[in-house]
Amino acid sequence: MNFHLIYPEFLLIGLAFLVLMLDFFLSEKKKYLLNWVSTLGMAFILGIALFMNQQGDLYQGLLIIDGYASFFRIFFLAIGIVVTLISRDYVDSNISNPGEYYAILIFTILASISLASSGELLTAYVSLEILSFGLYVLVAYDRYNPASNEGGVKFILLGAFSSALILYGLSQTYGLIGTTRFNEIAVLLNSMENISIGMVVGFVLILAGIAFKLAAIPFHMWAPDAYEGAPIPITAWLSVCSKVAIVALAIRFFTNGIFPLAPDWQPILIVLAVLTMIGGNLLALVQKNMKRLLAYSSIGHAGYLLMGLATLVGVSDEGIVSKELTHLVSNGLIFHMVAYGATNFAIFFCLIIVYNSTGREDIQGLSGLASRQPLVALVMVCSLFSLAGMPVFAGFTSKFYLFNAVASQGFLLLVGVGIIASLISLYYYLTVARYLYIEKISDNSMIYVSFNSKLILIALLMFMILGGVYPSPLMDLIQTATDSILKID
Amino acid sequence: MELIYFQLLAAILFCIGIYGVLARRSAVLILMSIELMLNAVNINLIGYAAFSSFGSAHRNLGQVLVIFIITIAAAELALAMAIILRLYRNKNNVNVDELDILKG
Repeated sequence: MNFHLIYPEFLLIGLAFLVLMLDFFLSEKKKYLLNWVSTLGMAFILGIALFMNQQGDLYQGLLIIDGYASFFRIFFLAIGIVVTLISRDYVDSNISNPGEYYAILIFTILASISLASSGELLTAYVSLEILSFGLYVLVAYDRYNPASNEGGVKFILLGAFSSALILYGLSQTYGLIGTTRFNEIAVLLNSMENISIGMVVGFVLILAGIAFKLAAIPFHMWAPDAYEGAPIPITAWLSVCSKVAIVALAIRFFTNGIFPLAPDWQPILIVLAVLTMIGGNLLALVQKNMKRLLAYSSIGHAGYLLMGLATLVGVSDEGIVSKELTHLVSNGLIFHMVAYGATNFAIFFCLIIVYNSTGREDIQGLSGLASRQPLVALVMVCSLFSLAGMPVFAGFTSKFYLFNAVASQGFLLLVGVGIIASLISLYYYLTVARYLYIEKISDNSMIYVSFNSKLILIALLMFMILGGVYPSPLMDLIQTATDSILKID
Repeated sequence: MELIYFQLLAAILFCIGIYGVLARRSAVLILMSIELMLNAVNINLIGYAAFSSFGSAHRNLGQVLVIFIITIAAAELALAMAIILRLYRNKNNVNVDELDILKG
């Protein structure tokens, strides 16, 4: 077996257990070291992952380590480092038992990586469950806080329900098509003359499960509550990692597995995308709590991602239209996820800094931030503009790529809906910006920003601007990643 | 015995599970309904595996899938019960209708 392909994953498991073990031996005062151990460990593994370019299959194709998997491995490790860094102050002051916190975080990174590299439905399901289990625990991590418990219960009940849906879909696929591997599914679907209703039910249930995990409307009920109840760094992690991991799986599953059935699933996803884009952004308009507002904004962003997923494979009467366009859409999707991830971490980090000093997470608590802490206000306003899709920032460029790709697939109306949704979102993002810069200061407590935090804020801001004005190096990376999975003829 | 009976049983159990998730108000009973759905999936898989026309590799795959699902379902149940227990300690109540701290 060529186990050397997944050394970084083995090292991640080792790191998680190391953090768990160290937790036993460190006294309460020394627990802050756990953060350094996890950050440095992940940076080390990231360094190894950057220099690994061998490709191949493991376990007879259950795990596929190709350019796509390597790209997501690097991506998840990088955002893992970011989330560990932004957790530091929050965990030190608000969370008991930091050892398990970091260890479970590392396990969710591992699960996301294997989700992006799985080439088979059962592997994908097991990775998805490891990811979800970690997130359930992390959302309910603040044990003595009823809001955290409540968010956790809602999250786990609906999460378990959605995984049961995915499983029923998996069993139908297994029984009626006779395989659970993506590439074999495609071959068998192509060779079949008529598709039975049972198979369609199976795929629709898998799609519903994916929509649940992405928090697409009308399957979004759990998202705002889980986001609001969770500790703030976990809210950031939930809004980025789980979405990216699911979309990474979906791109592979759709383009390698069920693309022959595209005319059947495309309309479903288009309806979901329209509902999610419009609904998520409309519901965000009335929110008072910043975490909840960002939850609805992330539902809106899931709508843009669903729009990309829906139009991934262009179909006409003659069959699949063009491989180049599929390439374009998946590049746009991945680029949008990268930009959205960086932006979301920046805004949540600002929120963490404010919360650590003032204990407030409502929008009113941010009023007058510009005069209290100019750098934090600047980064926050830049990330709000980036989320809204204003030029110069990464959010604009990525949205432009994505919408452009969807439009060239021939879905102009859908793009129109997307643009209207972005316009709606501009309203509530600017409301927050108004509180930051124009409203009078409502409470005068000092907001403390450490030197490290300033460095992280500036790094995230630089990434946002660099991704906006000079995206071509990033696009090249994404291009090589998608090259390795798109083999549609 | 024919495959169709297994499929029907699984589909009916699955639908009862969905009904339970939607209609029950206690978090523990919702969890039991979810377990019912997962077991419906297991029956479906066992049925397909027993009447498989795709060969022995396919048959074995079905049984492996069932073992994986049983394991993961057990872990999921334990985790969910732990979180529900935390909720009960804090609120003395596991009725999902009364979970109303977070809304809007």
